[in-house]
Amino acid sequence: MAQVIVVTSGKGGVGKTTTSAAFATGLAQRGKKTVVIDFDVGLRNLDLIMGVERRVVFDIVNVIQGEARLNQALIRDKRVDTLAILPASQTRDKDALTREGVSTIIEELSADFDYILCDSPAGIEKGALLALYFADQAIVVTNPEVSSVRDSDRILGVLQSKSKRAEEKRDKVKEHLLVTRYDPNRVERGEMLKLEDVREILAIPLLGVVPENESVLKASNTGTPVIMDTESVAGQAYKDAVGRFLGEDLPHRFLEPEKKPGLFKRLFGGRAA
Amino acid sequence: MSSQTLPEAFRLRAGNFNLLVLRLLDPRPEAVLPALGDQFRRAPGFLRFAPIVIGLDDLEVAPEAMDFRGLVQGLRALEIVPIGTTGGTQAMKQAAQHAGLPPLRPVGGKEAETDLPVPAPAAEAPPPAPQPVAAAPVAPEFQGSGRAAMLVTEPVRSGQRIYAQGADLIVTATVNPGAEVIADGNVHVYGALRGRAVAGAADDATARIFALNFDPELVAIAGFYAVREGLGDAPIGRAVQVRLEGEEMRFAPLG
Repeated sequence: MAQVIVVTSGKGGVGKTTTSAAFATGLAQRGKKTVVIDFDVGLRNLDLIMGVERRVVFDIVNVIQGEARLNQALIRDKRVDTLAILPASQTRDKDALTREGVSTIIEELSADFDYILCDSPAGIEKGALLALYFADQAIVVTNPEVSSVRDSDRILGVLQSKSKRAEEKRDKVKEHLLVTRYDPNRVERGEMLKLEDVREILAIPLLGVVPENESVLKASNTGTPVIMDTESVAGQAYKDAVGRFLGEDLPHRFLEPEKKPGLFKRLFGGRAA
Repeated sequence: MSSQTLPEAFRLRAGNFNLLVLRLLDPRPEAVLPALGDQFRRAPGFLRFAPIVIGLDDLEVAPEAMDFRGLVQGLRALEIVPIGTTGGTQAMKQAAQHAGLPPLRPVGGKEAETDLPVPAPAAEAPPPAPQPVAAAPVAPEFQGSGRAAMLVTEPVRSGQRIYAQGADLIVTATVNPGAEVIADGNVHVYGALRGRAVAGAADDATARIFALNFDPELVAIAGFYAVREGLGDAPIGRAVQVRLEGEEMRFAPLG
């Protein structure tokens, strides 16, 4: 049975799709058979970030409405062969998604994949509820900013009450906190919430902290998941997060402001911390 | 054997408890349970593991027709703990007792029919549930509120609303911004109170709010409220108790 992971946040623009793309790619790079589904019907983005927008023929709505088979709609990634993408529809609205339809798709994908990532739309409406309904695990993407933290808090409450696991009173959805766009310099100046403050309010285990980094924008625009940019701090942070997700014990990095390289760093290189 | 040398293993004391009564209007578990389940889905966490007494007064069926066992199982599945019955005919009470639900006598209430002592249910007692003693045979040592309490151990998150009906509410985690905790009795938050807290919701002006880290969006007691903007003088970020003095809200540091 595949593990179903929802990438969610409540708030928009915090990095759900960037995270979905990076995480799916990272899991696939580790040899896990991974499929990532775009649930943002009407505002399709995942295919752009994954760089497959020119290969989209059918989408999730076509599959649900019986106009295409699942295998026709799945796009196999050309860079990592264990990775597939199921795009959203850009022309329909969210009402085209039905719980039965999504259930059938997830069941069918479960046979072939180890991980099914669901890239949730923002909000707590139908699309977001469907994206999290079947989840076994949730990656809650949060920016160090009060409105984002509050919306993440809200979505954690929704996960506890509206997911299939909650409705069937099974073990609750396993929650992971991923803080993105973290800027230690701005935290130090008091312009951003400290990591500890975010953790205290949300009170769920920390999967990783992805620093604010130019490489993310560049990666989006070139259709390359940022985790493939192994030189960038964001790419490395995502790689660490994937490692932790798979049970590795890795220290959190990129939490302190960059200092002028001291003697130690000049001697041993800048990648020590 | 001298009892002075042995350490005391237990003490028996009378206690009064305020309990919610689930008055059955329909005898069929298949009618009652889904309706209850529905109500709890709308207020998740509400009544979780709350002990409840089943009211038999409104039932107009033969005791043989009542499926108490099915009802008890169904309630437990909803995470509600039925602990006994109140009211009803002698035969109905006995039927309930066979399903592990002893009859309880309301405080001060006199039973319509004087009951012969019914032998306590033997082996099939329900799993440990708080056993309320309805009538106090000895005078209580002090006068409590007589209220039950509802315990919440998970963080109360933005958008969630918890209501302790007829009870105190004890939260051993944080109440986050955008969350709302309400009690007919006192509200205790052994964590940070960052959302809204409403005590004495059933118009009890003696109810209080206690918080280990007082940082609320709004506090209200018996309909009198203060929003954060009006809390200029309150000791924010400290352990605080809030009470009502006349129509004035008082904020006092604790400890």
